[in-house]
Amino acid sequence: MRVLLLGNPNVGKSAIFSRLTGSHVVVSNYAGTTVEYTRGALRTEDAELEVIDVPGTFALEPTNRAEAVASEMIADGDVVVNVLDATNLERGLYLTLQLLLTGKPVVVALNMWDEVQKSGIVINSGRLEEKLGVPVIATCALTGEGIPLLKKRLPEARSSSLVSENGASLWQKAADISSDVQQKAGRSATVRDKLDHATVHPVYGPFFALFVLLLSFAFVAYFGDFLHEILEDVFELVWLPAAMWMSGLLGGGGLVHDILIGGLIDGQIHFEESFGLLTTGFYIPLAVVLPYIFSFYLVLSVLEDVGYLPRLGVVVDAFMQRLGIHGLSIVPLMLGIGCNVPGVMAGRMLETRKERFIVATLIAIVVPCMAQQAMVIGLLGQAGIAGLAIVYGTLFLLWIVTGLIMNFFIKGESPEMLIDLPAYRKPYWESLWKKIYMRMNGFIRGALPYVLLGVFVVNIFYTLGIIDYISRAFAPVITGLFGLPGEAGAALIIGFLRKDVAVGMLAPLGMELNQLIVASVVLMVYFPCIATFVVLFKEIGLRDLLKLTAIMIFVVVVTGGGLHLLLQHTGF
Amino acid sequence: MYKSLIELNVKEEAEIVSFNGSSLMNRRLEGMGIRQGKMISRISSQYIRGPVIVSVDGHQAAMGRGMAMKLIVKPVTSNGV
Repeated sequence: MRVLLLGNPNVGKSAIFSRLTGSHVVVSNYAGTTVEYTRGALRTEDAELEVIDVPGTFALEPTNRAEAVASEMIADGDVVVNVLDATNLERGLYLTLQLLLTGKPVVVALNMWDEVQKSGIVINSGRLEEKLGVPVIATCALTGEGIPLLKKRLPEARSSSLVSENGASLWQKAADISSDVQQKAGRSATVRDKLDHATVHPVYGPFFALFVLLLSFAFVAYFGDFLHEILEDVFELVWLPAAMWMSGLLGGGGLVHDILIGGLIDGQIHFEESFGLLTTGFYIPLAVVLPYIFSFYLVLSVLEDVGYLPRLGVVVDAFMQRLGIHGLSIVPLMLGIGCNVPGVMAGRMLETRKERFIVATLIAIVVPCMAQQAMVIGLLGQAGIAGLAIVYGTLFLLWIVTGLIMNFFIKGESPEMLIDLPAYRKPYWESLWKKIYMRMNGFIRGALPYVLLGVFVVNIFYTLGIIDYISRAFAPVITGLFGLPGEAGAALIIGFLRKDVAVGMLAPLGMELNQLIVASVVLMVYFPCIATFVVLFKEIGLRDLLKLTAIMIFVVVVTGGGLHLLLQHTGF
Repeated sequence: MYKSLIELNVKEEAEIVSFNGSSLMNRRLEGMGIRQGKMISRISSQYIRGPVIVSVDGHQAAMGRGMAMKLIVKPVTSNGV
């Protein structure tokens, strides 16, 4: 039997899904986190049910892609669990009534029950059950309250003959039922309301946004560095002796030694430069990248669960509109900072092809993933803040310029934003940690094999002399245009596999600060890693991907070359 | 006296009369509970052509100015400033 979880956006369908199935899905406090359906299994005493988490929808007649997925899914479902935001009963009931019209057996989960109690609304769920003619269960998915009862009463799902025709009367009915079963107590403005107003205030809002973004960046940079230093010590104290012992066993040199341990520098293993599988191959992802990824996802997840992202979208909307995308596009762009792959996928929440193309291109060109940023921060940070400031300043400038140009040249519509601003919520630590854990787990499983493969390929290339060949072949571009040593060309090739490994390859080249800046910017801007490329192909199709690639090559040549000349002339 | 939502003052309350936009957009607004007969109030707006923030049924939503211009409302108090 197939159970569909259906309801308005941001009512907690995914939270209920993970409670029912025990599987982990990303839950946030804004609409559109689920852009594609997710399957899971629920074992009851007598059956195994297939549970499907459907993207949120306001009506059964779709108005965007996520809603189209929802309305197509209905035909395949045997039972519908209709999830309602209990604090927003009327509009939830409108969808409930539409569902009842389809004749499907329905159970209603009155979710966010904790919010109802806090906001002074009293809902008589028994009366609602009587009125609708289907089971109604009060739940709070984030704490798990009411979930056992929901599971127990699932077999009681039934169809109801409450409504017989679609149309405007459905709204009237929803309004009648809603006012019949609930009493709203008038409440005075709370601290939360005041905070709410301040964060979207025309004057304070942008300052608050700037403050939040700077604070987030500073936190990621400093806390990431703090964790990195600890892990670096662990590697030096625990792993170094073990690796040196293995190096001795392998005879201190030779092909196998160089692949596993890497090159010794003054007879010692150097985790950043030796480039062996067991040394640099584990050091880069676990000791350098992981601390920054963790810090980033900690900040992002808190911002998501509190409900700040849609408000950030409101504040930046006027600016983003000039780039041909509306304010909510900040969500895919922010996700892209963690890893480009989920960022590109989140672009699906946008409606038109033009918007999706612009967002995908911006992510691919000007949003470097955290893995890459961690390496660049390590590489450039040693020489002070100036180098990093130039790199990020350049990316910011590119963001604006490429956005403006794309908006001008790309045909199509850029609709205005229309979004719910969910109430601010105190994050539930349990679900917050679960989300961070999932994202970390995703990184380790997804990235570690590629990093190891990257390091392996680098070693094979060196041994076979392919690196030398590439260096010579690309010298006119790499040296002539960007002013970089020829070996940096090999890093650009490896960057296609993993960007963090590519940045790691720059470390032993002994470049000047101005060269490091140019190399970092070129690596960040040009081709995203293969995983992102595959997702881009799936999301925007071959034609748009070719267009994107052409824009990217143009941007990287102009920016890399321009920056090289600029830094040279200013004697940086 | 009808006016568009964009002409409504901040904190002024009004009843929604009609939406003069595409039927698709109308359906989306309706789905969000922003529909004929509902009371709507304007919470704030952003400078430089940013979106307008409204409150319907105690829930807030942000909508673009173009959309707000097409939403026709009837203020409840004529002296609302």
